[in-house]
This record gives sequence, structure tokens and C-alpha cells, in this order.
Amino acid sequence: MVEVAIYAFVPSTGAALADWGADVIKVEHPETGDPIRGLSSYGISPGDGGVTTLWEVFNRGKRSIGIDIRSSEGRELLLSLIDKADVFLTNFMQPARAKLGIDVEQIMARNPRIIYGRGTGQGPLGPDANKGGFDGLSYWSRPGVSTAAMPPGSDFPVMLAGPAFGDIQSGMNLAGGIAAALFRRERTGQGAVVDVSLFGSGLWAMQASIAGCYATGRDNIVQLDRRSPPNPLANIYRAGDGRFFVIGMLEADRYWGGLCQALGRPELAEDARFTSMALRAENAAALVTILDEMFATMTLAQVGEMLNSQEGQWATVELPGDTVNDEQAIVNGYMQMVQYPSGAQLPLVPVPALIDGELPQLKRAPEHCEHTDEVLMAAGHSEEEILNLKVGGFIG
Amino acid sequence: MKLTAGTKIKSAVCSLEAIVIRPPSEEADLSCGGVAVVAPGSEGTGAIQLADAEPGQALIGKRYVDLTSGLEVLCTKGGKGALSFGERALTPKEAKPLPSSD
Repeated sequence: MVEVAIYAFVPSTGAALADWGADVIKVEHPETGDPIRGLSSYGISPGDGGVTTLWEVFNRGKRSIGIDIRSSEGRELLLSLIDKADVFLTNFMQPARAKLGIDVEQIMARNPRIIYGRGTGQGPLGPDANKGGFDGLSYWSRPGVSTAAMPPGSDFPVMLAGPAFGDIQSGMNLAGGIAAALFRRERTGQGAVVDVSLFGSGLWAMQASIAGCYATGRDNIVQLDRRSPPNPLANIYRAGDGRFFVIGMLEADRYWGGLCQALGRPELAEDARFTSMALRAENAAALVTILDEMFATMTLAQVGEMLNSQEGQWATVELPGDTVNDEQAIVNGYMQMVQYPSGAQLPLVPVPALIDGELPQLKRAPEHCEHTDEVLMAAGHSEEEILNLKVGGFIG
Repeated sequence: MKLTAGTKIKSAVCSLEAIVIRPPSEEADLSCGGVAVVAPGSEGTGAIQLADAEPGQALIGKRYVDLTSGLEVLCTKGGKGALSFGERALTPKEAKPLPSSD
């Protein structure tokens, strides 16, 4: 697979496919490289912890080749790689792709069996087709995620939950589309263009909210007030040690009796204010007050022990930094510690769709232009040719 | 020796050969293994040959730069020696992305 893509969205598609075993050749500018190598985001800067985290996350397991694809020499090298590729990935904008000679028609003419994976901000059609995008804008803001996530009483919508939060989900959508297109090619021999946009992915994620707003005649979903929710057994609580947990017993009537037993408060199950879903809704404020007072006297560990002894669903609220030590994540291989030659290490999350339970062995991302010589030699270029291309500045 | 774009150089103490991609903005000796480099084809000193690879030894196909003077060389044949310009060690060229932030 050949990737001509920058930042996080489409590179995360390449990362997912590499996790599944693809040989992904990342084409970078010979001087500047992928701009994500220089990106500071949410207080995470290149070099923190001895690694360039954002580069590593989205490019693990790939090979890097430096080609100046603006030059005809460079473009010809790129096309010679595309001749042998199954998949081409890009998030360059259409005018740039056309100018560089890597737009759909040009690539498909060169290799009609290729799967051309195209990531855009707002989709390939319409007035904003050639407008750039980032996930904080196109995935998070325009599809209504930021307004739906607004806590009641907040002055402003919530900003993107973390670096590349929407990119990496849109990237997984593109990886899925590419896998489907490869299957079609296996059946029909036909190449394909696969389109995924940040905006379309955001709408996909929000569709239950969008359809629900339409059906109820509202313009936003109702974020519930935790002090009097419709179901106090689907609510967020805080233990005495300040740690949060969420109870999510949607079918609360099934669990209410067991929950009261587990919490050592069997009398609550008999309390006439709380004996059914409807009554607990009516008296929600009183029940939340009782539960808040009870949980304030316990640590999260104590709460957890009690909640684990009954059948209803609940979960701790973890901080992103806590998840590295989550036993369930470790046992399932959802967290892999990648080691670096410098001695640094970084926890990376493998592609979340495992085939036959096979976990990828994640490897560090490449240095800038690390594999230029290796890739070009394998493609039949001589050492002398490669050196001449380097002297000419066409490759890095 | 005068360093201009395209100047080919050879180590006096190991097998290293390189070509100047960008000339330096100041004059100083380009050295390999601590000894000034020579023009290819010249006899060189030949008196010293490095026995062991130095830390930072130049590798074939890699670019080395002196950020202060702007000198950039491309190593066309690897050697045991490390390159320096005047008193400064050349460093492997790294990507120079524009700073970006959100």
C-alpha cells in the first residue's frame, strides 16, 4: 500500500491496515516530512517522553520513503510504486492531487485494479468539497457532536475530546471501506475509489441523536441533570475518594433489588417511593441524594466490590492515563508497550478489529526517509541512480 | 578545500566518500575522523586508517548537516569516520516540519 497522506486521519487508516499486516509505504516530503512530526496538540509536543507521540501513533509499522512528488522524476518514482500497489491512500485536497498528477483518473489509468482510498474534510461533492478540514471542525463541530456534549448551563460547546479523536475513527471507517473494496476486487477484478470524510463520519456517529432530534422536534438532545435523571440507576456518581463511576442499568427493574442487597441497604428495595422505574423517576432527586450520601462514605474500591457482587452494569470512569494499567485492556491486548532504541517506550492500542484473535506485534514508526534506499532498491533502482536522485533533491 | 555544491570529497582515513549538496556560509575544514577530507583521486595522507568505527560514523545514502553554516553533504560511500566541520560534528539530517499546534 502506498500512502500520500499527512496529519492523522488517513495516516490512521494506514496504521490500521499495517496492524492487519499490510506493507504500507509512507511517502513523505524529503525536507519537511509529514507535518504531524512537528505538531503540538493538547499539550503533547514532539520529543515529550523521548518520542514524537503523534507521529508514532499514526505511523507505527510503516516504512518511510522521501520523494518530492512535485518533480517529474519524483512523480515517476511514485507511479512506479503505485504500479505494484493494491491500495493508494491520500488526504491531499483535490486541486493539489490534480496538480501533482495523483488524482483518481491519473492513478486509476496507471493501475486500474488499485483501491484508491480518499479522505476528505467534507466529502468530494458540494460547495465545501475543496475546503480543508480537521476533526475538531468537520467531525466534531459541524455534525453537532460539540453541542450535544455540552453540559447543561455551559456557555460554550465542548471542544474535541483529545488529539485526533475524530480522525482516528474516520480513519477506521476508511480502513473498513478499503477492506470491502478489496473483497469486491477479489470477486470482480475491479479497482475502486473509497470515499470517507470527517464530516460524514461525524454524522454517522451522531445519527441516533440527529434522527432523535428530528422525531422529537428538538434541535438538540437533552443532556440529563444528574441530580434528577429519569433513571437514577443510569447516572454518574462520585465515591468518597473523589473518583467517579457510572451506573448503567437501563433495565433497572431487573437489578434494583439486587443492587439494594449488594449496597447493604435492603430496606431501600422496600421503600414505596422507589419500587418501580416510574416511581424512581418520580422520586429521582430523593434517591440520588440517598445514593450520593452513601457513596460519599466509601472509596471507589469499596463501591466496586459491592457493585461487582450484583448483576447490573457499571463502570469506573478512568482518566486516559489510567487505562495503561487497566487489567482488562492488558489481558485482551488492547494496550501494547512499544520499545524504542533510545530506551523510551509508548503504549499503543492495536487496531480494534482482531481477525482470529491475532494481535499485531506493534513496531515503532519509521524515521524520516528511513526506507528510501531499501524501497527503491527493491523496485529495481541501482545504487548509483538512487544517489543521483538524492543529489538532485528528488528523494530524501 | 573549497566546498561548493557538487564538490566530491573522500576521507583521508577511511572509505568514506561524499558529495556536497549545500555549501557552507563560512570557511572551515570539512573533516572525517578528525582529518581534513581530500579530493577523490588524490593520494590523501594514507598514513592513518581508522581501526574502529567512530560514534556517528557516516552511512551510505544519509545526509549530514552543519546547522550553523548550512553545509549539507550526502554520503555516497560509507566509512568508519564521523564528519565534522571546523569544531562542529555534522549531524544526520532530520525532517523539518513547520511548527503546528492546536
